[in-house]
Amino acid sequence: MMRTIGAKVWAIPGGHVPLRSSGEEPRHTSRDELCVLNAGHADVTVQLTIYYEDREPVGPYPLKVPAQRVRHVRFNDLIDPQALPLDTPYAAVLVADHPVVVQFTRHDTSQNANAIATTLAFAG
Amino acid sequence: MTLLRTHSTDEFVNWSGSLRFRPYARLWPATEAAIGAFVQDAIAHSRVIRVVGSGHSSSPLVQTPDMLLSLRDLHGLIDYDKQSSQATVGAGTRLHDLGTILHGAGLGMQNLGDVDTQTIAGVIGTGTHGSGRKLQNISASLVGVRLITGTGEQVEWSLEQQPDLIRAARVSMGLLGIFTAVRLQLQPAYRLRRREYCARTDDCLAHLDEVADSHRNFDFYWYPRRDEVKLRTLNPPEVEPPALPFARCINEELGFSHEIIARERQLKFEELEYFIPAEAGPECFQDIRRRILERHRQHVGWRVLYRLIARDDAYLSPVHNRDSVAISVHQNASLPYQAYFNDIEFILRSYDGRPHWGKRHSLHGETLSQLYPRWSDFMQLRRRLDPHNIFLSEQLAHLSGEERAP
Repeated sequence: MMRTIGAKVWAIPGGHVPLRSSGEEPRHTSRDELCVLNAGHADVTVQLTIYYEDREPVGPYPLKVPAQRVRHVRFNDLIDPQALPLDTPYAAVLVADHPVVVQFTRHDTSQNANAIATTLAFAG
Repeated sequence: MTLLRTHSTDEFVNWSGSLRFRPYARLWPATEAAIGAFVQDAIAHSRVIRVVGSGHSSSPLVQTPDMLLSLRDLHGLIDYDKQSSQATVGAGTRLHDLGTILHGAGLGMQNLGDVDTQTIAGVIGTGTHGSGRKLQNISASLVGVRLITGTGEQVEWSLEQQPDLIRAARVSMGLLGIFTAVRLQLQPAYRLRRREYCARTDDCLAHLDEVADSHRNFDFYWYPRRDEVKLRTLNPPEVEPPALPFARCINEELGFSHEIIARERQLKFEELEYFIPAEAGPECFQDIRRRILERHRQHVGWRVLYRLIARDDAYLSPVHNRDSVAISVHQNASLPYQAYFNDIEFILRSYDGRPHWGKRHSLHGETLSQLYPRWSDFMQLRRRLDPHNIFLSEQLAHLSGEERAP
C-alpha cells in the first residue's frame, strides 16, 4: 500500500495577484495559482481561508479534490464566499480533511516579458 | 377588521440581504375573502399593501411600512386543459414546485430563468425571463388572471375577453391588484439536452448570430478575470444542432425542462440587468467588457451574463416591441457594488436600455416613462383600479412618478 503523501494544513503567506495582464487570456492572465495533489484514495475537501493586512479573514472557500487527482485553482477565480481583490497582499491557509500536497505559482504577465515563480507551500 | 401587529422580530429580509424593513403587519391569507378584507382595511386606514413572493428581488418593490402580504398559502394546481396546454395555478406557487406539478399533468413551462425559487406571480409581475432568441419572458405566458383590485373588487380577466388588461397585467409589479390565480399558456411536457462549453470571448462573439439562431435556448457568461466565456445551450434531444467547433464542451445533461433549465444558486449576489435592442447587444457587451477590464477587474470577479429574449406587447415589459438582449452584471452581496453598477448602468442606458424591474437600477418617473410607449395607458389603468393608492408605496410612487395623495 502506498504511504500517505502530504499534510492537512498548508500556508501561503506571500499572495498578491498582479492587476495587469498582457497577452492572450486566459492563458496569459496574471494570476496566483494553487495546485493541490491528492494522491490518497479518498476524496478531499479543502477549506481555504484568506488573510489580509487590514481586514478580517474571509472564508472558508470550499474546494473538492477527488481521490488520486490534482486540481489547479486560480485565486483570481474564487468568488465563494467573496472575490479576492487583485493587486492586494494576502495570505492563504488551507485545511484539508486528508493529507494533500500544495504548490503555489505566480504567473505575472504585467509586462510582455512574462515571469513565473513557483514554490511549495509551507506544510503545517 | 383590526390588524394585530406582528412580533417585532418580523423583519423582512430579501434573498440577497440588501433589502430590510419592518412592516406593521405580515399577512399570510389563505383565501381570497381574507385578502379582500385586508384590502378593505387598507382602504379604511390609508395603509399600503405590498405583496411579497419569495423575496428574490433586490429592488424595493415589496417595501411597505404597513401590510406585507404573502401568497404562500395560495398555491398549487387549480385546473388544467391538455388540449390547449393551459393551466390555472395559485399565484403563490413557487416555480420549482410548479414544474413538478405541471409535469404531473403532462405539461411544462415554455421557459424558465436561471433560478426557480420565485413565485409565479413574482416572475410574471417583474418580467422575469430565460434566454432564447425565439422565447419570450415568463410574463408572456399569462393568458388569464384572477385578482383583487384596490377597491376590493374581485375580477377575472382573460386574453380572449380582455386582451388590453392582460397586456397591462403581465408586467405590473402588483400595482393593479393582488393576483390570486394565474392561467398560463404552457406546452406538453418536454425534455431538453443541456450543453455547456468554454470558448474564447472573441470566438463566441464571431459566431453569436449562428449560435443564437440554431439553439432553442442560448446564453453565455463572460468571466472578467479570464476574459473567457461559458456558453449554455438547450435543445430538444431529437434535434442535433450544428457543432460549435470553436468551443470545448465541458458538460452535458438530459432531462425534463423543469429539471434542467434552472440552477440552484446559494451564493448571495447583487445584480444589475438591462434590456437593450438585440441588434445592439454585441457592441454594448464589448463596451462593458472593455470597461470592466480597464476599471473594475481589481474588485469584480463575478461574471457578466448575456441573454436573448423575444419581443412582446405587455405595456411595461422591458422587451416591449423589441427583440432584446439582457446584459447583467453581478457582485458578491458582501462587497461594495454601487460604483461598479453606476458605471455599467451608464453604458447600458446609452444603448436605450430598460432596467429589469426586480433588480438594481437607478431609473424612475419621467426617465422610465420615456422608455415605454404604453406607460401612460398603464398608469391610467392603475389609477382606475387602485383609486386609493393602497398598492402605491413610497418606493413605487418614486419609481412610477405617480402621486400618492389622491
